[in-house]
Amino acid sequence: MRNIERVLLFALLGAGARAQTPPASPYVGSETCGTCHEDIAKAFNKTPHHLVDGSDKKGGFDGKACESCHGPGAKHAESASAADIRNPGKLTAAAIDKTCLSCHLNQPTHIGRLASSHAKDLVACTTCHKIHATGSDELVVRKTEAINKQCEGCHLTVAAQFQKPFHHKIPEGSMSCVDCHNPHGSMKPAMTQSFGANEPGCLNCHGDKRGPFTFEHGPVRFEGCSSCHASHGSANPRMLDRPVVQQVCLECHANLPTVKTSGTIGVVPPAFHDLRSPRYQNCTVCHQKIHGSYVDRNLLQ
Amino acid sequence: MRVLHIVALLLPLAGQTPVDAQKPPETAAAPTVSQVATKDAAAPISPVPTAEPELSGWVDFGYRWRSGVNGSLETYRSVVNLGEGPKLFGADFTLIDPTKRLFDSMHVRASGWGGDPYGSFHLDAEKSKLYRFDADYRDLAYFNNLPSYADPLLTRGIVLDEQSFDTRRHIGSYSLEMLPGHWLVPYLAYDRDANSGSGVMAFVANSNEYAVPTGLRDTTNLYRGGIRFELRRFHATIEEGGTTFKSDQSLYQSPGATNPGYLTTPIFGQTLDLTSLAAAYGINGTSTYTKALFSSNALPWLDVYGQFLFSQPSSSVHYQEGATGNLYLPSEIVFYQSEQYLVSAAAKLPHTTANFGGEIRPLKRVRITESWLTDRMHDAGNSSSLQNIALTNAAQETAQLLASSLVSDYNQTETNIYLEVAPHLTLRGGYRYVWGDASDAVFPQAGELSGAEQAKLRRTVGLGGVNFRPIQKLLLTAETEVASSGGVYFNTSLYDYQKVRTQARYQATNSLSVALDFTYLNNENPTPGIRYTFRSQQEAASIFWSPGGGKIGTLQGSYSWSSLRSDISYLVPQTLTSAVSNYLEDAHTATALFNFNLGHWGVVAPKLTAGGSLFISSGSRPTSYYQPMAKLWVPMSKHVQAFAEWWFYGYGEAFYPYEGFGTHLGSIGLRYMR
Repeated sequence: MRNIERVLLFALLGAGARAQTPPASPYVGSETCGTCHEDIAKAFNKTPHHLVDGSDKKGGFDGKACESCHGPGAKHAESASAADIRNPGKLTAAAIDKTCLSCHLNQPTHIGRLASSHAKDLVACTTCHKIHATGSDELVVRKTEAINKQCEGCHLTVAAQFQKPFHHKIPEGSMSCVDCHNPHGSMKPAMTQSFGANEPGCLNCHGDKRGPFTFEHGPVRFEGCSSCHASHGSANPRMLDRPVVQQVCLECHANLPTVKTSGTIGVVPPAFHDLRSPRYQNCTVCHQKIHGSYVDRNLLQ
Repeated sequence: MRVLHIVALLLPLAGQTPVDAQKPPETAAAPTVSQVATKDAAAPISPVPTAEPELSGWVDFGYRWRSGVNGSLETYRSVVNLGEGPKLFGADFTLIDPTKRLFDSMHVRASGWGGDPYGSFHLDAEKSKLYRFDADYRDLAYFNNLPSYADPLLTRGIVLDEQSFDTRRHIGSYSLEMLPGHWLVPYLAYDRDANSGSGVMAFVANSNEYAVPTGLRDTTNLYRGGIRFELRRFHATIEEGGTTFKSDQSLYQSPGATNPGYLTTPIFGQTLDLTSLAAAYGINGTSTYTKALFSSNALPWLDVYGQFLFSQPSSSVHYQEGATGNLYLPSEIVFYQSEQYLVSAAAKLPHTTANFGGEIRPLKRVRITESWLTDRMHDAGNSSSLQNIALTNAAQETAQLLASSLVSDYNQTETNIYLEVAPHLTLRGGYRYVWGDASDAVFPQAGELSGAEQAKLRRTVGLGGVNFRPIQKLLLTAETEVASSGGVYFNTSLYDYQKVRTQARYQATNSLSVALDFTYLNNENPTPGIRYTFRSQQEAASIFWSPGGGKIGTLQGSYSWSSLRSDISYLVPQTLTSAVSNYLEDAHTATALFNFNLGHWGVVAPKLTAGGSLFISSGSRPTSYYQPMAKLWVPMSKHVQAFAEWWFYGYGEAFYPYEGFGTHLGSIGLRYMR
């Protein structure tokens, strides 16, 4: 019986030893990649992604940063053929995103990603993030002018709006597109940023419009600043949607006071507002607290 | 012996761990032929190249001149506002510490210092896996003084600086993230937004309005901190924050001066005026908020995410005002000589937002995304006021208590299905439903007409999109939304609308790329009394050309044409008759930038940048705005370049010609690089 046990023991040990012999790995490691792709390797090592080579023990790509995106490179290293390696640049946007998100999905900036127009229009991560960061390309563009230039590359019509005389100071480089928009997505319309938790991102700079006011002006809360202002740029002063103040106001304040036929908010001003008199043509001369008043229900003070 | 058996049994199991294609083995793989051939030659790559200088970057400084502003200085300041004098035009430095003692790298950027209207300073520093620090500071000048915006005396030829302000806003943002890249990332941040300056506002008395000087000062501080848990299949963030807000606006007119106001027509033979005024707002605000986010890809075919956000800002105000003059109370047909007005008010705005969604991948070529959002807020305010009017022989006191309520309940659900028809063609179809309720009320209504209003929002939207790459160098994308509404909040809200956006990008050659962009929006609300038609269309094209790989120079150019037409019915207040508000804008925008390498002139190789932009519109407010420019760079040595720059700003208004201006700006300076 003891002999049988010994035989079994050695048999099992032998099986274990055989199983421990690894098969030929399909991976070659980043150092091998760098021998041919020297420029890329040099630039890549200045990006945060180089940390994969030194620390991604959990993901299993420690020392294999290149192959974490390009897939196993042994065949390509042997043949030097482009056909033998995965080139994310030639994949579909969804496949590129899948590659990036295999590491980056669980990060706070991606909470609103699926609702973003970038995700819906299949704008891949690599459209904005140049992973190799060679030449003038950067992994994460951080300089204001470079951010704006990158966004303008696709958003031509928006870039044109900033050439209007009254605009947010994007062309001047005073602010960047990402000051107002989160390119990864947000739960707010047009992927706009938030102030604090869930307040409009406009309040990051326009803190005096925040309130809460004792007497609010409904559109500011219900539909935001863009209900009256063209937030990118306008030919009208104060970036208003209309050139004349009364036009901005009366297009909404047009409901009869007693009978609500349309079901919308906004009652016509009392009859003493005689528009033939210049005194009443610019509503904000009196209703100067148009964003909301702490004091007066008619937004006068 | 039993221990030996167990060890023997476990050894094969440990050894038989399969090799996961996505997770390579930790054990060293057998080197391939290529590896053997190159391993000796390939030196280990250091994360930070040792040859790199510790400090690199540049700084631009010099002097700017401005010609006389040929036209309205007020408009120039409102639109451009660049001044003359010595300037720090910009700086950009990177500092790398090879010893990595305090930081790995530090970046510093600055621009627009020396009295410019938008100065900025940025610093970030990081030490890998230990911290990342960001500091951002901006100093912005806000000036606005355009009589055409709100001057009730404009038609009489009196140009008042009504509704103007001349302020500076200082915005700072500082954040410290600890242990970036670890599974647990704590962070702290502080933001400050402070504004101060002066301006002109109207003091609204019972029957007249008086333009008076105003002092503006407000400050918002935002403190926040949180923890992020970042795991491979799960992420959660918990953040707590709070703000403080303070605003001290004041209106003041010195005793003795007589301000006639806008109403110069006598009432019962008497002319109204204001002889002194002191009014002050003392506003304080606080808030706290909670933010909780999570995302997970627990299953290979399923990603889910969600967030919960709650904020509760509140404010309190003590307003006091004293005014003297010949004032008039129309409700009692009585003149009086002074008034005092005191208001104490408070408001609270609890605001809750929740969002949940996910992506399902049931098939290899099919993805389904689903999201749900709810956003609820309720602003509750109350005020108590006391007005004391001094009549000729008596005093009259009026006290009033008011409560206000503004409620919004917004909900949205959306589903999209993505179908990868072919490797280069993806189609998207979806559906969005939006519903909500809003109400705005002030109590007691006191017989006024706009005391309480309610509206409902009901909207169904069909969504579609296509992404097509017929060849590698050409990408075509299009998206559309078609909506039908059963109720909206405002007359000008999106109602029954169609929205289309298409884009084409073509990389013709290595040195030439072109892009086209088209957007269209048609919105109609046929409800009687509104009859709103809004149509906007914009077409844009851009080109980037760098012949010879940019050795000769580069050209960047874009052209955009936009058209906007809006017609909506409204009621004329004094007659309650219906009228139509029309707005029309037809605009051309062009930008161009040429970069020329001017060759070698002896030992120097100057470069010239020239171009600019123009905007010309016709319609309801015909406007023209030109910004041609040229900049010459002349290298002086390895580390120094000289530059000379010229800009022209020209602005014209067809209806308000006195608001036009034209001015030249010239700069010379040096760039020091290392």
